[in-house]
Amino acid sequence: MDTNIVEVINVTREVAWLPWAVQYFFLIGLSVGGVLLSLPGYAFAREEWRATGRVALLVALTCGLAAPVALLSDLHQPGRFWHFYVVFRPTSWMWWGSLIIPFYVAGLLVYAWTCLREELREHGAVDSRLAPLYRLAAAGGGRNDALIRAAGLVALAGAAAVVLYTGAEVAVVRARPLWNTPFLPVQFALTALAGAAGLVLILNRFAGADRAVEVRVNRVLAATLAAVMAVGGLWLALGLSGIEPTHAEALGSVVGSEAWRVTAVWAVAATAVPFAIALARPSGTGLLTGLIAVHSAWMFRWTVFIGGQSVPKTGAGFYEYALPAGPDGLLGIAGTAGLWLFLLLVITAIVPTPRRPASGPVRAAPAAGRAVAAAE
Amino acid sequence: MDRSRRNFCLGAGAAAVGAAALAAPPADAAAARKGGDPANRWAMVVDVRKCVGCQACTVACIMENAVPANSFRTIVSTYEVTEGGRAGTAMLPRLCNHCEDAPCLPVCPTGATFQRRDGIVVVDNTVCVGCGYCVQACPYDARFINHETRTADKCTFCVHRVDAGLLPACVETCVGGARIFGDLNDPGSTVSRLVRTQAPKVLKPGQGTDPRVFYIGLDPNLEGKVEGTPTLWRPSARPHAHAPAAKEHA
Amino acid sequence: MSITRRILLKTSAAGGALAAFAAGFSDTARHLVGGARAADRPDDAISGNAPPPEFRVDPATGTVTPTPGQTVANVACLGCTTLCGVRVRVDTAANRVLRVAGNPYSPLSTDPFLPYATPIRESFASLTRLGERGLQGRSTACGRGNAALEMLTSPFRVTTPLKRVGPRGSGRWEPIAFDRLVEEIAEGGDLFGEGPVDGLRGLRDLKTPIDPAAPELGPQVNRVALLSSVNDGREPFVRRFFNQALGTINVVGHGAYCGGAYRSGSGAAFGDAKKMPHAKPDLRNAEFVLFIGTAPSNAGNPFKRQAMLLARGRTDGVLNYVVVDPVLTNADNRATADRANWVPIRPGTDGALVMGMMRWMFENGRIDTRYLSQPNGAAAEAAGEAGWCNATHLVIVQKGHPREGRMLRASDMGWVTLDEKERYGDRDAFVVLAADGAPVAHDAHGGAAALFHDGALETPDGALAVKTALTLLRDETMRLELSGYADVCGVPADVIAGLAREFTAHGKKAAANAHGGMMAGNGFYNAFGVVTLNTLIGNLNHKGGTIFGGGRFPDEQDGPRYKLASFPGQVKPSGIAISRPVPYERSGEFRAARAAGRPYPAKAPWYPNAPQLTTEYLTSGLVDGYPYGLKALFLWNSNPVYGIPGVRAAAEAALRDPATLPLIVAIDPFINESSALADYIVPDTVLYETWGWAAPWAGVPTKTTTARWPVVEARTERLPGGRHVQMETFLIALAMRLGLPGFGPDAIEDTEGNRHPLERPEDWYLRGGANVAWLGKQPVPDATDEDIALSGVARLLPALKATLKDGEWRKVAFVLARGGRYQDDGEGFAGDVATHRFKDPLLVYNEAVGTARSSITGRRWTGTATWMEPVFADGTPVRRVHTPEDWPFQVVSAKSVLVSAYTIAADRLRHLHPENPVGINADDARRLGIATGDRIRIATPGGSATATAIVRHGVMPGVLAVEHGFGHREYGARPHVIGGTRQPDVPEIGAGINLNDLGIADPTRAGASVWVDPIAGSAVRQGIPARLERLAVPA
Ligand SMILES: Nc1nc2c(c(=O)[nH]1)N[C@H]1C(S)=C(S)[C@@H](COP(=O)(O)OP(=O)(O)OC[C@H]3O[C@@H](n4cnc5c(=O)[nH]c(N)nc54)[C@H](O)[C@@H]3O)O[C@H]1N2
Ligand SMILES: Nc1nc2c(c(=O)[nH]1)N[C@H]1C(S)=C(S)[C@@H](COP(=O)(O)OP(=O)(O)OC[C@H]3O[C@@H](n4cnc5c(=O)[nH]c(N)nc54)[C@H](O)[C@@H]3O)O[C@H]1N2
Ligand code: SF4
Ligand code: SF4
Ligand code: SF4
Ligand code: SF4
Ligand code: SF4
Ligand SMILES: [Mo]
Repeated sequence: MDTNIVEVINVTREVAWLPWAVQYFFLIGLSVGGVLLSLPGYAFAREEWRATGRVALLVALTCGLAAPVALLSDLHQPGRFWHFYVVFRPTSWMWWGSLIIPFYVAGLLVYAWTCLREELREHGAVDSRLAPLYRLAAAGGGRNDALIRAAGLVALAGAAAVVLYTGAEVAVVRARPLWNTPFLPVQFALTALAGAAGLVLILNRFAGADRAVEVRVNRVLAATLAAVMAVGGLWLALGLSGIEPTHAEALGSVVGSEAWRVTAVWAVAATAVPFAIALARPSGTGLLTGLIAVHSAWMFRWTVFIGGQSVPKTGAGFYEYALPAGPDGLLGIAGTAGLWLFLLLVITAIVPTPRRPASGPVRAAPAAGRAVAAAE
Repeated sequence: MDRSRRNFCLGAGAAAVGAAALAAPPADAAAARKGGDPANRWAMVVDVRKCVGCQACTVACIMENAVPANSFRTIVSTYEVTEGGRAGTAMLPRLCNHCEDAPCLPVCPTGATFQRRDGIVVVDNTVCVGCGYCVQACPYDARFINHETRTADKCTFCVHRVDAGLLPACVETCVGGARIFGDLNDPGSTVSRLVRTQAPKVLKPGQGTDPRVFYIGLDPNLEGKVEGTPTLWRPSARPHAHAPAAKEHA
Repeated sequence: MSITRRILLKTSAAGGALAAFAAGFSDTARHLVGGARAADRPDDAISGNAPPPEFRVDPATGTVTPTPGQTVANVACLGCTTLCGVRVRVDTAANRVLRVAGNPYSPLSTDPFLPYATPIRESFASLTRLGERGLQGRSTACGRGNAALEMLTSPFRVTTPLKRVGPRGSGRWEPIAFDRLVEEIAEGGDLFGEGPVDGLRGLRDLKTPIDPAAPELGPQVNRVALLSSVNDGREPFVRRFFNQALGTINVVGHGAYCGGAYRSGSGAAFGDAKKMPHAKPDLRNAEFVLFIGTAPSNAGNPFKRQAMLLARGRTDGVLNYVVVDPVLTNADNRATADRANWVPIRPGTDGALVMGMMRWMFENGRIDTRYLSQPNGAAAEAAGEAGWCNATHLVIVQKGHPREGRMLRASDMGWVTLDEKERYGDRDAFVVLAADGAPVAHDAHGGAAALFHDGALETPDGALAVKTALTLLRDETMRLELSGYADVCGVPADVIAGLAREFTAHGKKAAANAHGGMMAGNGFYNAFGVVTLNTLIGNLNHKGGTIFGGGRFPDEQDGPRYKLASFPGQVKPSGIAISRPVPYERSGEFRAARAAGRPYPAKAPWYPNAPQLTTEYLTSGLVDGYPYGLKALFLWNSNPVYGIPGVRAAAEAALRDPATLPLIVAIDPFINESSALADYIVPDTVLYETWGWAAPWAGVPTKTTTARWPVVEARTERLPGGRHVQMETFLIALAMRLGLPGFGPDAIEDTEGNRHPLERPEDWYLRGGANVAWLGKQPVPDATDEDIALSGVARLLPALKATLKDGEWRKVAFVLARGGRYQDDGEGFAGDVATHRFKDPLLVYNEAVGTARSSITGRRWTGTATWMEPVFADGTPVRRVHTPEDWPFQVVSAKSVLVSAYTIAADRLRHLHPENPVGINADDARRLGIATGDRIRIATPGGSATATAIVRHGVMPGVLAVEHGFGHREYGARPHVIGGTRQPDVPEIGAGINLNDLGIADPTRAGASVWVDPIAGSAVRQGIPARLERLAVPA
C-alpha cells in the first residue's frame, strides 16, 4: 500500500452505465456473432454450415431482440428514448447507435424471415389450426437463396455497423484509458463471436446435439479464442512496454489491484481452457466449451464496463461496486435472462428446431415433437 | 432558462413519438453554443494555498443546488502527502472545469449537454435521457447521474446565481478565500489578473480539455489520477435512498 | 416425460422467464411512464431544484432586488462554539431555512467586515459580483455551518417535553404536558413510582446548611446543580434562574473538558484563576506564530476567522507558522510548505519543548529585556511597551520561611504598615531591585528594574533569600539540557533551538498559542509555559503579537437601559461548589484532619487555582457525595457523558440510579448521551429559532456582540399565547410557579426605575438588546423601514413594539438587522497597540500557584512554568503506573475538521466523512502488520474499542490519533421510543469511535474519578496509555 499519498477525503462515484449496459453489449454482441455464424449456411448457402446456421440464427434473433430492451433500461429516463430521434448529433457514437440498432434489428428480422420462410411454409402445409397463420407468415414463398443472400448482406452490414459503433462508442472515451484503445472494438467483436459460438454450442446440445455442428463450431471457437488471446496479448505487450502512454496508463490503473489480478487470471483461464479443449477434443465437449465461452464473453463485458467504471478518473484505488439486488442489478440481469429465455421459448415454439438426420433435407415434424426437440 | 423547450418535452413526452416531429430538432446543438452572454467567459481560479479543507464549498453547493444525498458536484479532496520524509496536508477542490473543449459535449446523443456562450457547460434536465455517456467522457469524474431527476448532473457554476449578479455558492462561502470566480473576458477581473500573473495550472492538461478552472499551487502529484492509498469513504449502504429518515418537508 | 408434462414444463418455464423479465424491467416500465410526469421534473431545466436566488443585483446599476418569499437574516450559527455571525436565507412561507452563509458585518465571518452603519441593502450588494465586491468582502459559513440547518428539521429532534418510562436510560419516553412538567419538577412527589423525589420547592432551602459541621459548604439549595456548556448568548438568563433566583452556587460550564488546562495555564500567567483570561495571536499582522496543541483551520476558536486569516497570511501576507502537534491536520497546507510547518511531538510533553525553547532564549539573550524589566504599567508605558509583567518582582525563596514562595512586599520591607485585611493585598507593593541593586517598591520605580537576582536581601526581619520571578523561571528552564528536553518530547534539539530562534526573530510580531492539545496530565504547566513564551517576548497587546480581544457589548448588565444584572430579592449564592475551587486548607475537613495530625490527603483533590469543574461534579460529587451529594441535576446545552474521557465508566451507574441522584432534567433539543439518562427532557429551540447575545471567545480585536433571534418559528410545541416550549419558557414557568424573585410581572427595572415584566423570552432579550444598542460611545442609529423589511426583522416588529419603548425599538431593530453590534474594523488598534488592552501585569511567577499545596500530598506547586511529566493526583507519573512496556501507545484526540460533537445529526456532513478511522504512524503499522482499512482494537486501562485504521505518516510514532465527534451511542444511533413511536433507525450516526470511552480513572484516588490535570482539574484526553492490536480480517 502506497502511504506516501493518503486520501483522507474524496468522493466516490457510482457507475453510470449499469449492469443493463453489460447485458446489452453482451446480447447485441452475441446476436452479431450469431448473424456471422449463420451467414455461411444461409446467405452463402453452404449446406455443411446449414445446421450450424439454424442454431446461430436462433442466437442472433433471441439476443438481437432482447438487447435493445436492456439498452432502454440503461437509460435513466427510458421514456425519453425518442429524444435521440429528434436531433442530429453526428459527433456522438451513441446517437449513431440509436439509428443503427433499429436498422440492425429490422435487417435481422427480415434476414431471419428469409431464412426461415421455408420452414414457415412447411408448417403452413401441415394440417393444423395455425397453418393459415404460417402460410401468411411465409407470404406464399419458400427458400429463396438470392433473397436470403441479399437480406444476409443487409444484416451483415447492420452487424458490422453494430460492431463498429459499439466498439467505437466505448473506445473513443479518452477519459478511461482502459477503454480508450483501438483494440477494444476488435476484442468486442472477437469475444462476441466466441460467445455466439458458445451459445450455439449450448443450444445445439439441447436441440439434438448435432455432432457435426459441435465440431464445426468448436473449431470456430478455438480460432476465435486464439485471436482473442493474440489481441489481448498485444494489448498487454503495449501496456507493459510503455510504448503507448494510454495503454500503459490503462494497465497501470489496475495492475496493483488484487481483484484485477484475479480477474485477469480468470479471464486468461476462461479463454485458454475452452481454447485448449475445443482444439484438442472438439467433439463431445460442446456444452462445456460453450458455457465457458459464453461466460467469458459476458465476463469480458462486465469487466470492461463495471470494472472499468470502478477505476476513478482522478482518485486513488477503486470505487467499490456492490451488485444491487434490484432491477439495477441482479434482478435486471435475471430479467434480461428471463426475457431471452422467453424469446427463445416463443421462437422455438413458433419455428421449432427441425429434427434432422445427419444431413438430410429438413422435414416437418409434429408440433408437439418439435417443441420437445428444443426443450430436451 | 429555455422554458419553451421544457414545455415541449412536457407536452410531447407523454404523447407518441410522432409528436416529436413537431419539435424543431436542436440540430444546432451539436456544436453551437447558446444562452448566456457571449461578452463573458466565466472561470474559476482555485488558490489551493488558501484552501483549509473545511468543505464549506461542498456543503454550500449541496444546499444551494438541492444536490441529492450522497452526491457531490464539488468536493475538496484532502490528502496527506509525504515527500522526502516530510508529511503535509494537501487540499484539492474539484468541480466541473467548464472545459473550453469539453469532451462531455460531443458524446451527448441528445444535445442535453451544451455550452452557453459564456462558457458554462450545462445539462438541460428536460432533454437528458440519462444515458450516462457524458459521465463516462468527462476525464474529471465531475458528472454523475442525479437519482432524483434521473439525469446527468454536475456543477453549473451556479448559473442561476451568476445570472442574478451573484457569486456561486461555493465561492461566496469559501472560508480560506481559495475559490475566485470571474470573467476571463474582462482583463480587469481578478481571475484574469491571476491567470496572467500566477501561471496557474489545470488538471489533466494532457486530456486537451482546456479547462476554465485554474489552480494556483497545484501539487504535481495530484494533477492527474492520484496514486496512493484510497480513501475509506464509502457510499452509504443505501445509495439511492434519500436522507435516511425522511426529513420533514414543510 | 409425457408430452403434456413437457408442454407444462415449457409453459411454466416461459411463465417464469416472463416473470423474471417483468420484475427485472419493472423500474424501466415505471420510468417509461414516470419520466413524462411533471411531478418528477425539477423546477428548472438547468438549475434543477435549486431555489431561486435570494436576491438579484443588476451588475450595471447595482440595484438589488429581493426575491419575494425569501428573507436574508443575520443571526448566529451554533454549529460549534465559535458562534459566528451568519446570514440565514429563509423561505418564509415554508418556515424553512434554505441556506446559510456569513454575516458581512461580523468579524467572525468576514475580513474586513462591513462598517456597522452600512444599510442592509448595501450589505447585500457587498456580497455580489458587483465590482467583484463579493470576492473582497466574502462572508462565509464553514462546512458545519452550512450543514447545521439540518438540525432544525432532524427527525431526532425532541419537540415536546418528555418524561421517562421505565428505568433511566431505557430509551422509552412519554410526552408530558408542559404545565404538568413544570408542576412535577417544582413540587416533586412520587414521580416515577420509585419513591418520593424532592422538587425544586423543597430543594430551595437557602438557610439550612448542608452539613452543620461544615457550614462553609453552604445551604441545602446547593444540592441543585446545572451543567452547561459555553455561553451561547443565553447563559446570563440561565444564571439568573439558577444562581440569582434559585440560589445554588453550582452552575458550571464545560471548561474542564474543553480547554480547561490551557485556560488555567493562561489564567496563571494572566493572574486570574477563575476567569482565566487568554489572548490570541493577532493573525492579521503576525509574522510568526507557533501553535502548540491547537490546530487553527482544523478546529480552533474562532474557527473561521483563524482559518481565513491563516490562509491569507500564509499566501498573500507575511505569516509563517509552525504547528506542534502529534497529528498532522488541516492546519497544514503543503502548497505553502515554506510558510506552514508541522512539527510532530510526543503527547503531553509540550512543557519540555517550551522549557527547552526558553532555556535557549535565556542562553542566547533572546528575551525582550526592555519589556520584562519594566516593574509597573507606567514604566512600561514610558518605555513604549504595550504591557508589563512581574519578571522583576522579588519572590521569597527562603527555605522554611513562613512566606516561602510569596512575593516580597512593601510591608515585608517595613515600608508600609497595613492592617491584616490589607496586608499582602493590592495596596501592598511588590519589591524590585533598582539598577544600583537597591530594593524599591515596584510601583514607585520609574525605570527598568533588575531582571535577575538570586541572593539575600536585608529586610527588617533579617536577611531573606529572594529571587526575581524571572530568575525563578530561568532556574526552572535550566533543569534539563536542551538535549534532555529533546529526548522527552521527541522534537530534535536543533528544531527546538530553531523554533526559539524563529520565535524571537520577529520582535513582537510573533506569538504562541495553545488549546486542546494541552488536555494532558500536565496540561496546566504545559500551557503556562506556552503563554510564558509570549511573556518573554513581550507581545501582549501588540499588533502582530497576542491580543486580548475587544470583548463584547454586554446585554445582561445593569444599564444603560435596563437593569438585567440585579433585581430585588436576588440571592447571592454561598458555600463551596461541588468541584471545590477553593484551597482545601479553608475547609472544615482540613481543620479536622490537621487536628488529627494528618492534614493530607484530602478525600479528593481541591482545585484552588481552577474554576468550577464538571469533571468533579460527575465523579466525586455525584458518585461519592463529596463534599456533598446532589439532589437534582440540570443539563442544558451540554453532553458531559459523551465529552469527558472516562466519565461513563466512572459515573454511568450513579447517573442511572435515582437513589444516588433523585432528579435529572435535561434541556436539550436532542437526546444525547447525557440527556438519554434524564428523567425529563425539556425540548429547546435550536440555532435560528433562538434568542441570545453571544460573543467571541477571543481573537477579535474589536468589540463584538452577535445577535441571535428567531428567524423561523420554533418547531417545538406551541404553548397558549404563542410561546413555544424552550429553555426560557420552561425556566420562567418554573420560577413563576415557585414564586422566585427576578421573574414575573415586575421583574425587570429600567434605569428610570419603571418595572417591566419577565414573562416571555423577548422580555429579556429585547431589553438586553436595548442595553447593547446604547452601549459604546453613542447609541446606534435607528433602523430604517428598508433595513427592517430586507433583514427579516419585520417578523419581530410586533414583539419589538410591544416590549420596548418608542425610542428604543428602532435601535434594537438596527442591531438585530445587522445580526449584532460590531465596533468598526480598524478601531482594534491605535498605532501598534491594541485598543482593548489587558492592563494588569502578566505573571512570570504566580504566587497563588507557587504557594498552593496539593490537597493530596500537601506539597507545594511550582509558581513558574516548568516541565512536569503527566501525573495522577498524588503526583505519581502516569507512566510509572501504566508503563510503556504494557501500554506502548498513547491515544490523543484531535477535533474533526468537519463535525462537532453534535453536528453528527447533519446527514450531509456524515455523507462526506462517515466515520473516524484512527490514525496510526506508518512505521508502527508496518511493525504490527496493519494496513489502512484494517479493523483494530485499542485498549487502555479504562476500556477498549474496535476501530478502523488509517495508516499515516502524519501521526507521531507511538500515537493513536482519534478524531473527535464520532462513536455516538445516542443522538439517533439508538432509536428511542417516544409515546409508542419509534425513532428512525440510522445506525450510521453511531459510526466510528469516541476516545472518551477509552478514558481512564485515577488509580491514586479513592472513590470515583477520571484522570485530570492535578492543578487545572481538566479532563485528560491527550496521551492516554494504550495498546493496539490488529483484529482478524472481518468476514
Ligand atoms: N472543526 C471544529 N472546530 C471547532 C470545534 C469542533 O468541534 N470542530 N469545536 C470548537 C471548540 S469547543 C474548541 S474548544 C476549539 C478547540 O480547538 P483546538 O484546540 O485547536 O482543537 P483540539 O482538537 O481540541 O486540539 C488541538 C490539537 O491538539 C493536538 N494534540 C493532542 N495532544 C497533544 C499534545 O500533547 N501536544 C500538542 N502540542 N498537541 C496535542 C491534537 O492533535 C489537535 O490537533 O475548536 C472549536 N472549533
Ligand atoms: N475526546 C474528546 N473529547 C472532547 C473533545 C475532544 O476534542 N476530544 N472536545 C471537548 C471540547 S473542546 C468541548 S467544548 C466539549 C463539548 O462538550 P459539551 O459542551 O458537553 O457539548 P456538546 O457535546 O457539544 O453537546 C452540546 C449539547 O447541546 C445540545 N444543543 C445544541 N444546540 C442547542 C440549543 O440550542 N439548545 C440546547 N439546550 N441544547 C443545544 C446538543 O444537542 C448537544 O447535546 O467536549 C469536549 N470533549
Ligand atoms: S469537467 Fe467534465 S463535465 Fe465539466 S466541462 Fe469538462 S468534461 Fe464536461
Ligand atoms: S446523460 Fe444526458 S447529458 Fe449526458 S450524454 Fe446522456 S443525454 Fe446527454
Ligand atoms: S459553482 Fe455552484 S454548482 Fe458549481 S461547485 Fe460551486 S456551488 Fe456547486
Ligand atoms: S470552502 Fe474554500 S477553503 Fe473551505 S474547503 Fe472549500 S475551497 Fe477550501
Ligand atoms: S465556525 Fe462554528 S459557528 Fe462558525 S460557521 Fe462554522 S460551525 Fe458555525
Ligand atoms: Mo471546546
